Amino acid sequence: MTDLTSTATAPAGKPSAAGIWHWLLRHPPVFTLIMIVLVCLVVGMINPDFWQVANLFDILRASTVRGLFALGVLVVLASGGIDVSFTAIAAFVMYSITMLVTNWMPDMSMPVILLLAAAGGAGFGALNGLLVHSLRAPSLIVTIGTQYVIRSFLLTFVGTALFMNIPVSMESFGKMALFTHHSASGTISVLPASVLVLLVAAVATWWILQRTLIGRGVYAVGGSPGIAERLGYNLRVVHVFVFAYAGLLAGIAGIMHVSSNRLANPFDLAGTELEIIAAVVLGGARITGGSGSVIGTMLGVVLITLVSNVLILVGIPSTWQLAIVGVFIVMAGTVFSLRPRR
Amino acid sequence: MQLKSTDASHPDAGPSKAAIPFLEIRDVQKSFGGVRALKGVSFAIEPGQIYHLMGENGCGKSTLIKILSGAQPADDGELLIDGKPVGKLTPVAALAAGIETVYQDLSLLPNLSVAENVGLTQQLVASAGKLARRLDLGKMRQTAERALTAVNLPTDRLFLSTRTDELPIATRQLVAIARAIASDARLVIMDEPTTALTKREVDNLIGVVDRLRAKGVAVLFVTHKLDECKSIGGRAVIMRDGLKVAECDVADHSKTELAFWMTGKVLDEARYRDEPAFGTNLLSVETLSRRGAFTDISFSLRRGEIIGITGLLDSGRNELALAMAGVIPADTGRIRLDAADVTPKVPAQAIAAGIGYVPEDRLSEGLFLEKSIQDNIVMPVLDRLRNAFGIVDGRRSRELAERTIADLQVATPDVANRVQSLSGGNQQRVLIGRWLTINPQLLILHGPTVGVDVGSKDTIFRIIQRLADEGMGVVIISDDLPELLQNCDRIMVMCKGSVVETFEAEGLAEETLYRALVQETTARTGQ
Repeated sequence: MTDLTSTATAPAGKPSAAGIWHWLLRHPPVFTLIMIVLVCLVVGMINPDFWQVANLFDILRASTVRGLFALGVLVVLASGGIDVSFTAIAAFVMYSITMLVTNWMPDMSMPVILLLAAAGGAGFGALNGLLVHSLRAPSLIVTIGTQYVIRSFLLTFVGTALFMNIPVSMESFGKMALFTHHSASGTISVLPASVLVLLVAAVATWWILQRTLIGRGVYAVGGSPGIAERLGYNLRVVHVFVFAYAGLLAGIAGIMHVSSNRLANPFDLAGTELEIIAAVVLGGARITGGSGSVIGTMLGVVLITLVSNVLILVGIPSTWQLAIVGVFIVMAGTVFSLRPRR
Repeated sequence: MQLKSTDASHPDAGPSKAAIPFLEIRDVQKSFGGVRALKGVSFAIEPGQIYHLMGENGCGKSTLIKILSGAQPADDGELLIDGKPVGKLTPVAALAAGIETVYQDLSLLPNLSVAENVGLTQQLVASAGKLARRLDLGKMRQTAERALTAVNLPTDRLFLSTRTDELPIATRQLVAIARAIASDARLVIMDEPTTALTKREVDNLIGVVDRLRAKGVAVLFVTHKLDECKSIGGRAVIMRDGLKVAECDVADHSKTELAFWMTGKVLDEARYRDEPAFGTNLLSVETLSRRGAFTDISFSLRRGEIIGITGLLDSGRNELALAMAGVIPADTGRIRLDAADVTPKVPAQAIAAGIGYVPEDRLSEGLFLEKSIQDNIVMPVLDRLRNAFGIVDGRRSRELAERTIADLQVATPDVANRVQSLSGGNQQRVLIGRWLTINPQLLILHGPTVGVDVGSKDTIFRIIQRLADEGMGVVIISDDLPELLQNCDRIMVMCKGSVVETFEAEGLAEETLYRALVQETTARTGQ
């Protein structure tokens, strides 16, 4: 009987070059990590100013909103779908809630605001999920549609004017520091508390995906919806769940965006969808579904943020950032497509 | 294929002492659109008994197992488990009742690990399909280990964490069975489980089935392989046109009788080949080699001759077929047609030279399932069907397609229907028809009747014979020995990439041919 499984159990024992290569191919986030390290080393070598706590804080701060979006995209991608409406959901939720709180309930506390945003986002997401499931339509098409509808609804019926003065609770949350660093030269850098929100969301997402039946169901549906259904997974539940979860995180991300920018602009966030999807794919998730990890996704987000934040330090014009991100994506796509298939 | 079960004299348990059957269906009916797939079927399944649900493609056996596994509801009729009527059987309810199905495609989730594939279902059943539950990793591993042990698979961490799409097909088959018995199965339905297995793997599978049976689990094979059914033993439930036409002990009836019930026709296993007339030499294969696949293959073929090539899965027969068709070209050596060197590097060259290749897996390599029958047939000759404006002429395409399907007796009302809508045997005929449109000199048929039922086999064999009579050279690559014996003039046996023996097929005993295959296996494993 052992001969039947020889292909699966043969490697082991002493590590060889081919063995390491195979191991790497099975653990795509390691590639992402290697790319991050390489970028850091190269940038740090050219400009030693890179090695500053302030820079680290900047990257973490800039990763928060992206990271929340990316976790939602990960869950949708893992189930074999794709969502491009999350930025529209975030914009709608952040603007409407800012308006609501500013105009009618200025005393609303931050936890309540977050709950409201999560519920609103989840509602829109659930709508996506129901549409995808009941229309049996490709989720890309459905979410392009809902993205336009939500955005148009926001600008037509809710408003287009910027909120320069955001509610007190949101503003103070944005200023809340988790950690303050005084550098030798006297500059003060702050790690905002919003990073904690991302951390909590990442741990929760990991737990859901790895330790619950619905999490395994998400991967099962991503692997093959037909088989998953035959095995007793309820496709409707999975579809609604993944899109609602992505919407929920998008709603929270919207509030994070407003509180850290101290500004609610209904035109914000539009057009960043592909960048987020790219980050998740850079982290090793397959665009065709059934794979991807939280740790990889977080690394993908850091890589994208790193490239967009630090290249300026080594004199690379910002217009070049996109090209570099593009090269990374093509590289990652090539390496990940080498993963062993049947 | 001659199979010996591990238990030489299968005791035919027969219906057990008038106990209540585990599962019973009464007058079950099901229609799709206007088509009545099941017209009232009744039968019972006793614990610890082996059943063979047999019938041609389209007889309703797939529909029946979908109803038994809860994948589809019946329109009418009763379903009883342990003598109690069951209203609506959902997939989860069927699993909870102990009805497990191993589908032909195995239904393993390719991206999940062995442990998850085997152990998850049990927790899903325990939660009655509710997904908002914690996953018990320890329990999942325990379940998986117990089930894998039962089918003789390893239970080490590495194997448990391997993705199932990285496993060889025979191991996947066993993983699928392990999943079926992971929760306390009382009936395991196996849909054509041996299609992709070699003989040794089939023996192992039969061993597993014997152990299941000994534990009182009923096993229902869905099959149209008469030989396997005879060698495994048990009861046969035979269906035709949505009706149960017979139920009997397999041992009491000959293969000819069983085939008659399945098809309504008398089919004997006589040779189809009679009075072959050979013309001039057509094909010369000269020292064809491809590294790691086959070495120094040489043979020739005359017009009107049919040669069979067989061997085990790793014998290089598949690679040889692909090289002759230009799909994966050979490294060295030549293929000549009428003295002209035509060694193809890409399929287009083979087609231009007049070599038609009907691939083994018609679904993934051969047919455009979503396209019409007509589109599938005219595909290689679009050039010829151009009109003055360079546009494919619809009327002429249709004529060509209609001529072809009439010629090959494809059962369809309209060539505009999707190929998907046809049964396996008809699909195969469409595929053969496509290659006939190029008027090939040489036709290579790779597994021409894989997944094709007995009746369709007969039609396809007759077509092959007619083509040879018309002067075409035919190569059949197959592991179905009776098929080769019935159709070929000569049979080449390959092993480890070389031709080890060539037989005249006339008067050759299946045993002899089979031993040529197996001997080589023993010799090889001995080294």
